[in-house]
Amino acid sequence: MTEMEASVARFAAMGTRVELHLFGCDDPAALAAARAAIHSVEDALTIHRPSPATALNDALSRGRSTVVEDRLLFGALLQVDALWRETGGLFDPSLGSWSSLTIDPASRQVLTDRPLTFDFGGFGKGHGLDHAVTALRAMGVTSALLSAGESSIAVLGQHPLGGGWPLAVPHPEDEGAWLVELELQGASLSISSTIGTGASKPGRAAMIRPTDGAIVTTPATAVAAAATGAEAEALSTALLVADPAARERLRATAPDYRFLFPHAAPVGAERALEPTA
Amino acid sequence: MTDDDFALSRRTFLDRVLLASAGVGMSAAAPWAARAAEDIAKGPRVRIGVIGTGDRGRTLIQNLNKTRNCTVAALCDNFEPHMTKARAYVPTNTPIYTDHRKMLESKQIDAVVIATPLDLHARHTMDALDAGYPVFCEKAMARTIADCGAMVTRARARGKILQIGHQRLFNPTYLNALKRAQAGEIGPITQIRASWHRNRSWRRQIPPGGTEREINWRLYRDRSAGLMTELATHQLQVANWFMGGLPTRVMGSGSICFWKDGRDVYDQVALIYDYSDGRKVIYTSMLNNARYGCEEQIQGSKGTIEPELGRIYQEVQPGAVPALARMRADVQAGRKNTVPIGGATWFPELPVTTPGDSLGWGEYDETMLQFEGFGEAVRSGREVPGLLAQAYHASVASLLGEQAIDQGKALAWPTDLVTF
Repeated sequence: MTEMEASVARFAAMGTRVELHLFGCDDPAALAAARAAIHSVEDALTIHRPSPATALNDALSRGRSTVVEDRLLFGALLQVDALWRETGGLFDPSLGSWSSLTIDPASRQVLTDRPLTFDFGGFGKGHGLDHAVTALRAMGVTSALLSAGESSIAVLGQHPLGGGWPLAVPHPEDEGAWLVELELQGASLSISSTIGTGASKPGRAAMIRPTDGAIVTTPATAVAAAATGAEAEALSTALLVADPAARERLRATAPDYRFLFPHAAPVGAERALEPTA
Repeated sequence: MTDDDFALSRRTFLDRVLLASAGVGMSAAAPWAARAAEDIAKGPRVRIGVIGTGDRGRTLIQNLNKTRNCTVAALCDNFEPHMTKARAYVPTNTPIYTDHRKMLESKQIDAVVIATPLDLHARHTMDALDAGYPVFCEKAMARTIADCGAMVTRARARGKILQIGHQRLFNPTYLNALKRAQAGEIGPITQIRASWHRNRSWRRQIPPGGTEREINWRLYRDRSAGLMTELATHQLQVANWFMGGLPTRVMGSGSICFWKDGRDVYDQVALIYDYSDGRKVIYTSMLNNARYGCEEQIQGSKGTIEPELGRIYQEVQPGAVPALARMRADVQAGRKNTVPIGGATWFPELPVTTPGDSLGWGEYDETMLQFEGFGEAVRSGREVPGLLAQAYHASVASLLGEQAIDQGKALAWPTDLVTF
């Protein structure tokens, strides 16, 4: 197999379609390992069937403390905790209740002073891709692009033709136009949007601002690139729900990798793209 | 062929039954179908005495009239308004009776068709068998599991044919659905959701001379198990058929939820039937909402069959992401182009939005066909194979479901049933 030939896996997971494209590697075990990693994360974090996450929700919804035995779930909780702090509470899978949680890394005990539940949502996709990337690296893969529902993308190593991976986020309403173009290497990208084909599908959960419980319906697309999928997911979600001041604080840290594109004009109206908000 | 093409010739209909029943494994799963669709032997028509001339009885008389090997030779009913309506479908000189025993003693018939209220099925069947006649009885078989078994045992003891009306067994759409399921098109079947939802009271106007218990017998427990025996029986037969086995246990709940009009049968039931290997049939029936109507959703790992709609659906597999396919092609060609990707998360199409494919063959002459099969069985003295077991197990499943609801606990499939 040449460096430019790809082996591909396509499958349904985490409520969406997942594609894994590995370049220069034809070892089926590598694809299998990445796929298994994603399913393992889904098994741990899903709330759509019995899982460690639903067991945790069951305890916390009664206001009880519990010890989280599942390694993947506990790792996710620690990561969410760090991202909740990094985003000033704007990324919060408990919808505003995270501050009442205490997580003890030593005992793996999770305590809450009021009833709450989690829905890891998009974080699960980013986190799943992170685990897949780790699995691929362990299998010796050096160049790959992974997509979960096209809203979560991870690139491993360099593009097969060298350098970074050129990615462009399409405008959700203006076919052929791009919101932003980024060149990434060994990084992850997350897109959160209140409009577009995927956003209008039945069954989609509303985007909620955890700090005040408001449902965010303003037409907008947030794009965030980060070292990990988990961080990118947290940041794109936070950017989408943040008020202007909080959004500027988030963007200031890495303005070339964090964007919010409002789509306030009527659909189809003539308007210039707004690459930064 | 279009879905609306109902104007098929009888020969075409029979050819389709034969075609549908000719698949791998079909001779074991539906041994009756090919037999019933065989050419009719020459000879005098089988003279049928019909007991019960209510709505269902008159429908059966009309279907008997379509057959090439049966003729209605006597009618029996003690309710004059029904008899008057039924006589319009038979020659004016057709003998009529108010007591079924008199009809059986007349010796002017060759076989008996029974379309009386459920609680009378066993008595009328036993009497006819004891009088030496083959019997075709409407489903469900009887009001109790014990009576269902007794009917089978009596037929065997008398050496007479007993056939129970389950017309879906002869429906080409169902036969074709079974053939495609057996060919693996929808993968292993692990769950069937079946429902029969109506939005009407089921209560009938009582004509002059009628009584509430005679006309509205379906609404009273001493005469019927209501939804379980009058509707669920059909679909539990289909479930057993497609599952290729029998339930291991049943649990359920029922209530008189909407039609609080003096009836004592449930107007709403919900049951779960367990089958081997964790497979399940989930059944609901109600009388105050018709949105989901009558259907069996036969679900396998690769697809779903909905035979009442005549549709087969494949599981929706995610399509490839076009931008990533282009990326691979570009890389292969040595081009490094920008990959346009990203937006709100891709969601799969909801299954209800997928149209599925037609199973075809939606015409309905199966009631006539099962009578022709009965007629040939009477002539030859050989029963149409497989039918009685299907009917018996469907009736047991419906009555066991009623018991599970009444007792509020899961009940195991009985171990003392008649064997086939």
